[in-house]
This record gives sequence, C-alpha cells and structure tokens, in this order.
Amino acid sequence: MSEIKKEQTTTHKIGIYLWIWGLLFVLSFFSYMVDWYQFQGLLRWSLILLFMFLKAGLIMAFFMHLFWERYALVNVLLWPMTAIACFVGLMVAEGKYTLFSRLFYFFVGGQ
Amino acid sequence: MSEDFNDNKTIQAQSSETISGEGVRGVAPDKDYVRPAEVADQDLYHGHSFITKWIFCQDAKVIGVQYFLLATFTGIIGLILSWLMRLQLGFPGAAGFMTAEHYYQFVTMHGMIMVVYFLTALFLGGFGNYLIPLMVGARDMVFPYVNMVSFWMFFVAVGVLLASFFVPGGPTGSGWTLYPPQAILEGTPGSGMGIILMCVSLILFVAGFTMGGLNYLITVLQARTRGMTLMRMPLTVWGIFTATVLAMLAFPALLVSALMMTLDKVLATSFFMPTILKAGEVLEYGGGTPILFQHLFWFFGHPEVYIVALPAFGIVSDLISVHSRKNIFGYRMMVWAIVIIGALSFFVWAHHMYVSGMHPWFGFFFATTTLIIAVPTAMKVYNWILTLWKGNIRLNTVMLWCLGFIVTFVNGGITGIFLGNVTVDVPLSDTYFVVAHFHMVMGIAPLMVIMGAVYHWFPLVAGRMLSEKLGKLHFWITFLGAYSIYFPMHYLGFIGVPRRYFEMYNSPYITSAVGVNEFISMAAFLVGAAQFILIYNIIVSLRMGKPAGKNPWQANSLEWLTPTVPPEHGNWGDKLPVIHRWPYDYSVPGAKDDFIPQTTPPSEVAGTEVEKT
Amino acid sequence: MSEPKIEGYKFKPGYSGMAADTASDQTMFKGVHWGKAMMWIFLLSDTFIFSCFLISYMKGRGSTPEEWPNPSEVFALNAFGVPVPLLLIAIMTFVLITSSGTMALAVKYGYERNRKMCGWLILATALGGLTFVGMQAFEWSKLIHEGVRPWENPFGAPQFGSFFFMITGFHGTHVSIGVIFLFIYAYKTFAGHYDEGKRGWFTSMKGDYVEIEILGLYWHFVDLVWVFIFAFFYLW
Repeated sequence: MSEIKKEQTTTHKIGIYLWIWGLLFVLSFFSYMVDWYQFQGLLRWSLILLFMFLKAGLIMAFFMHLFWERYALVNVLLWPMTAIACFVGLMVAEGKYTLFSRLFYFFVGGQ
Repeated sequence: MSEDFNDNKTIQAQSSETISGEGVRGVAPDKDYVRPAEVADQDLYHGHSFITKWIFCQDAKVIGVQYFLLATFTGIIGLILSWLMRLQLGFPGAAGFMTAEHYYQFVTMHGMIMVVYFLTALFLGGFGNYLIPLMVGARDMVFPYVNMVSFWMFFVAVGVLLASFFVPGGPTGSGWTLYPPQAILEGTPGSGMGIILMCVSLILFVAGFTMGGLNYLITVLQARTRGMTLMRMPLTVWGIFTATVLAMLAFPALLVSALMMTLDKVLATSFFMPTILKAGEVLEYGGGTPILFQHLFWFFGHPEVYIVALPAFGIVSDLISVHSRKNIFGYRMMVWAIVIIGALSFFVWAHHMYVSGMHPWFGFFFATTTLIIAVPTAMKVYNWILTLWKGNIRLNTVMLWCLGFIVTFVNGGITGIFLGNVTVDVPLSDTYFVVAHFHMVMGIAPLMVIMGAVYHWFPLVAGRMLSEKLGKLHFWITFLGAYSIYFPMHYLGFIGVPRRYFEMYNSPYITSAVGVNEFISMAAFLVGAAQFILIYNIIVSLRMGKPAGKNPWQANSLEWLTPTVPPEHGNWGDKLPVIHRWPYDYSVPGAKDDFIPQTTPPSEVAGTEVEKT
Repeated sequence: MSEPKIEGYKFKPGYSGMAADTASDQTMFKGVHWGKAMMWIFLLSDTFIFSCFLISYMKGRGSTPEEWPNPSEVFALNAFGVPVPLLLIAIMTFVLITSSGTMALAVKYGYERNRKMCGWLILATALGGLTFVGMQAFEWSKLIHEGVRPWENPFGAPQFGSFFFMITGFHGTHVSIGVIFLFIYAYKTFAGHYDEGKRGWFTSMKGDYVEIEILGLYWHFVDLVWVFIFAFFYLW
C-alpha cells in the first residue's frame, strides 16, 4: 500500500463534476423555494424528502465516487442503512404513540 | 526516524511458488499457484527504547496483552463488587458499611464493568489484537499508531470510570442501563458527578474502541496474506470480525445517548426528562421522553450482547475443532450463522423493553425477530456437538472449558426463548430469572470460552504451558460453582424475587428464599476465589511451566506457524506465509499426520482426501 | 476509483464481480487503499451517530404536545428591513456545496498529480469551511441573543433549542476538524509530500495523493450531513 504510484491514476472528465456541482445548486435552490412559497402538508414533506435524497445521492455517487466503486464496497456501505430505516420507522410509530398517550391521559383523561 | 523502518522487501511478492500462467499461454494452471501479492509489504515502526517497546507500543500483540491485563484488572474489581453484593444478599447486614445506596452503586458498576470494560475489551481488544494479524497472516494491524492510541483511550476511560468511586456522592447507582429520569435526579446515588463521569467514560471508550475497531475490520478485509480467502479464515477471526462490525454500528447509539444524558445533567436540557413532580413541586425539566433513552440504549445494548457472544462462538469453534481433531462441522454454515446473528441483532432491541410502556404493537414485531435468532444459534450448537461426535477428543483443560461453554450456553439460550415471548416475559421481568438468564448466556458462557482460550493460547504468548492439574481444579470449581449460583436463581425468579433489591426484608413469600440465597452466596465466594487459581497458575507457569515448543496442540491455523514462538514484532520474519487451505484439515484420511497446516501446498498432500476450500 | 490492474486477477462487473471480489484472497475491496477503506467504514459509523441524533430529534419533536417553533420564522434574517426566511441558512448551504465542489476537483487534480492546482483547491475548500463555521457562530450568537437556550426558548417547545444546539454543534465540530485537516493537507500538498512519498507524522505509510481523496470523503460526508440537517431542521 505504501509504494508510490509514479503513473497518474485515471480520473474523470472535469465536466461531470461541474454538472453535479450545478445540479446541487439547483436542487438546493428548489428545496429553498419549497419554504419560500410555503408549501404545506404532504406536498411540502414529499418535496423536501425528494430534493434531500437527490442531493445526498448525487454527493455520494459522484463526489464520493461511489458510482464508480465496485459493488463489494457499495453494498457493504448501503446495507447497514436498513437497520437505520427500521429504527426510523419504529420511532415514527413510537413518537405518535407517546403523543397519543400524553394527550389522552393528560388532557382528555384529565377532564 | 526513517532508519527505524524496514523498507519494502519487494522480493517477497515473487516467491518460488509464483508460477504465472493461469491459462494465459495455454499452460495448465499449476495447482500450487497462488496469485502474487496485491499490496506491498507493510512498513513497521520498530521501537527501540523500553517505552516504545512495551508501553506506547505499536505492536498489536503487545497492545493485545495490554488490553487483556487492563480488562482483567477491571474485571477483578467487578468480581469484588459482586462478592460484596452477594454478601449483602445472602447475609443481610453482615457487611457493616453496606447501605442500600452502596448496594445500587455496586450493582451498577459491576454490570457496566463486566459488560463493557471487561468482556468487550477482553474479546475484541485483547484476543482481537493478538490473534487477528496472526491468523490472517498480516505483519501487524494496518494502522499501528491508531491501534496504540485506541488502547490508551481505553486506559483513560477506565481511569475516569474508577475515578467515580472517589468523587462526592460516589459512582452512579442507577443500574447498568442508566435509565433516566432517575439516573440524574437527586435521590439516586451518584446522580451528581457519578453519572457524569460514567457518561464521559463511555464516550471515551467508544472513541477509543472506534479506532481499534477500524483496525480490526480493515486488517481482516484488506490485509490478508496470499491465499487467505474469507472462507479460509478461522472462525475466531469471523467471530471477532462480525462482533467488531456490530460494535462500529451499535456504539454510536451509546455515544449519542451518553452525550444527551450528559447534557440533560449539565445543561438541564430535557431530552429524556418528562415533567416531574417532586414533593409537590414541578422540576425544571419537562417535555422529554425517557423511553427514547431506552430505545437508544438497547439499540446499542442488544448488539452489545452479541459483541460479547460472537467472539466466544468463534473461539470455541476453533478450540473444539483442534481438541477433538476433527474439522468443524458445517464451516460455511457456522460463518453464515455468525453473520446472520449479527445482522438480526439490530432488529430485536426492544425485547428488553416489553414492560417499559412502549408502543403496544412492538411486542409482536420484536418477539418474532427475537425468536428467529434462535434458528442460527441452535444451528451453531448442533454443529459444535456434531464436531465432537466421533472426534478424537483430548479431554484436557481446554476441552473441558469448551464443554462447559456448550452446557451453560444451551441453558442460558433456552431461558432466553422464554424471555423473548412477551406473555412469558411480563411476569418474569425484573426477577432473578432474568439475572440467571443473562449471567448464564453472556456472563458464564463467554467466560468459559475466555478461560479455554487462555489455556489454549498461553503457550503461544508465553512459550510455556499452563499446569493442567491446576487448570482442571480451576475448571471444576468454576463450572460446578457457577451452576450452583445461577441454577437456583431461576427458581428464585419463578417465586417472584425481584432483582436489584437491597434486602428482601420479611416478605412472607420470600422468606423461603433465605436458604437458597445463603447457598448462592457461598457458591459465589468460592467461584470468585477459584479464579485466583488461574492467576497463580499464570504467574508460576511464566517461570516454571513446561516449555511449549512450536505448535504444542498440533493446530493448523497460522498463529502457531510463526518462525519464532512467541512471535516477534512483524510476526513472519522475512517472508509472509502463503495459504493453501482452511484451518480445519484434521484427521484427513491418507495424510501422514492428523493435521495439515494451512501453509501446506496441495502437491504435498496429493493422495489424501482433503477438503476443497 | 478507477479499476486498478492486479496481476492474476480478472475483474468482473456488477454482482458477479462482488461475489468474486468477496471470495478472493488478500483484499475484499480490490485496489482500495487501506486508509480509504478505513475512512469509509468510519463514515458508516459516523452515519449511525448522526442518524441516532436525527432519530432522537424526530422522536422528541413528534411526541411533544407543545407547539414546535416555526423554523422559517425563527431562522429568518432581516435583509434591507424585510425578514427573509432562512436567508443565512441558504447562504451557508451555498458555501458548503461550493466547498464540496472545490474538494471534488482537488481530488481530481491530485490524482492527475497537478500539485499547485490541487493545493489551491484544498485551500479554497478550507476557506469555505471556515466561512461556514463563522456563519454558524453568527447564527448561534443571534439565536442566543434572542433568548434561545439549550433548556428553553421563547418560541415554543424547549426541546427545540436542545436539539438545535446539539446537532448543529456536533456537525459544526465535524466541520471545524475538517478545516484543520484541510489546512494541514494544503500545507502537505504544497510542500510536495505526496509527490515524493514522504511518510506522515504518525504513520509509517508513505504519502500519496490518495490521502486527498480520503480527506475529500470526510469533507463530502460533512456536506452530506448538512443536506439532512437542512431538510429536517430548517425546512421541516
């Protein structure tokens, strides 16, 4: 690992980076616009999540080179996210339940 | 400084076995051919002074021994705490200074020390550091400097933890789970500096462990020697590797919960603190959710159980295979079982929280996932037994510990199935049944493996054998004594004796437990004392033990095949080993010995029925 | 990033390649530098840390019966007398994405062994990071001035301040550490450590431009986390 590679490693054209860079600005601008126009409800949340995942995906795929990495590395990095997804899903339910029991026992039941 | 490095010896990449020609020029592939090295040989920093050689040392083997010694030291503190607890439970009032506060503090510190600072550090830091580079044929861990820092972070973490014994109010007494709100409220012992030091110590431990863990993972994944595929690694490495993966993904939750708890205490935030009425007054806290802490804690805590168990599974598989002179039954199945148990352990955490008041639907989900884990685990138990089946068993100390492990593990595992079911768990929650269960399955069982591993690998580390006579004495007292401690506890749980109670007083249904409690305490004193037999054995054998020589157990795996025993810094002399087979070729029909080391090329064992690996 | 040449090993694409890589000897991630593999695994672990933070935030916010402060009002900034929602945050996002882009280019020029260009781009990245930290300090002091504290705030649920300071603080710590390393690496690049393969201060490994990519991974990760914080904290 420590030997010096005298030859230069092949790299990607500069255009791809500039494209992604531009796209990130555009997407950030769009997600800012979601707030600017004060979209509410399901539309707001789905747009926020859409732009968020698109931006995250672009950064990971191209800036972090995951798109060009071999599947062995990509899979090792992405599969553990299922545990996080499970945690998120369960905590959504748990948060709703906690709120429900608070409202039910402290406010409804208190009367 | 540059003269301290040995520069790359590029000759190694082109050793005599390298015959290039894998179908390239129509030449039949030579069956001894192994691909040349992808990665140039590692440059190592060789220390010259006493300090760089033995204290701030970058050699993974020395770091492993350092981890082992420090973890053992904290473990002995945990043992003494358990003695004091048993003294109080068996003979209330016999220890004059013992108050209820002290008792809670001892319970807490005993739990935390044993789980995190003893077992985790011992298995991953101790055995991991010593064995991984040797077993995969690497010169050292990939980042020796980071590895060294890892140990010293652990050292500081232990220091901070033990410092909490000496601060005003003493160490925290909120139980090893540190549940808020009580952990940081006045009235709980050690709710001042005690809990803060505990959280800080845990954060330091996680930071230090991350450094070590990255080393173990990358060494296994990227620094194996030529011919060493993942499916040719000893199960020890698989167990430690998977446990490290779990640790890297589970410790973040502990770090986050410890950090948030510290903020709740220091800055009076209310992450975990609901509105609380105390003596008619509303406290400054409000609006937080204590159950969030439990979720975060157990998102760490359940994988933690397997962080302790998986290395034990791996090590015991190797020990059983070596000492019954048979290949491990179903090697691939064993590997997949380890991986599947590891993966599933992230989806079962809330089975520790059935009575916590979480969302009532979660019970179904978590009971299901929990019981699924029983499948790969049972598979492993069957495979251990089938490895022993018709083996040429050497009934030495190491094998006795392995058999002890299988028995205690099956026992603890089966009570785990009880507790995994919501309806059975609810009445048994917070009784001695739970105490018996987890001590059996993640206390005694892994401890049996540690003992077996010490008797097995001591000759490698020290070059001398441990005394078999003392070893057998140690085993029988520990095994029978541990059973005498924990088996009656199941009964105590069934009659409803609650855990973590300082004293049972005169509750009518508990008076029948007095005799049992006295018996358990006596057994605990005996078992604890018996552990000093091992320490005596080690001290005596270091000087006067029988010289071990090379490969005293006739094992196949790489750690016994180093040019010098004990191995030196850099492990392999000038030339890295080349691997041709898995480490389980024992009693192969047609072979001249009953073992074929991993470095033996196929041409040397041409007429035998070796496994294709 | 590009497929390396390995003697005696044939690369296969896609999932059959994954199976072959995993089943082969020596390395699982073919051609991946040890340090780069380590950084990836570390980032995976760090992802779990930030996920736990954000999950806690979600659970805390989702279960409080008190009104959660409206972020587009709290984080509004007066520009020419008109309150513009999230103005500062938009600029911070802009700065961080800019620095991420310069970092990506620095990695590219590093691999092309263009020492000067690489060094200047790293320096630009470091300055972007510094600007970000500065603006975050401004944002914090503004909020503190308005009475937001970790334990209380005048706008609504007290957890708002707790989570805000903790999560942005943790992210800001990451950025600050990144900035320090960016300056160090900029120095090392200009000094030519990666061209001549000089050994690092705490490692016996020889310097190589792959270290720029490793640092880049960290920096992009910091940007990545900001994407999530931006979405969940400021927009949600």
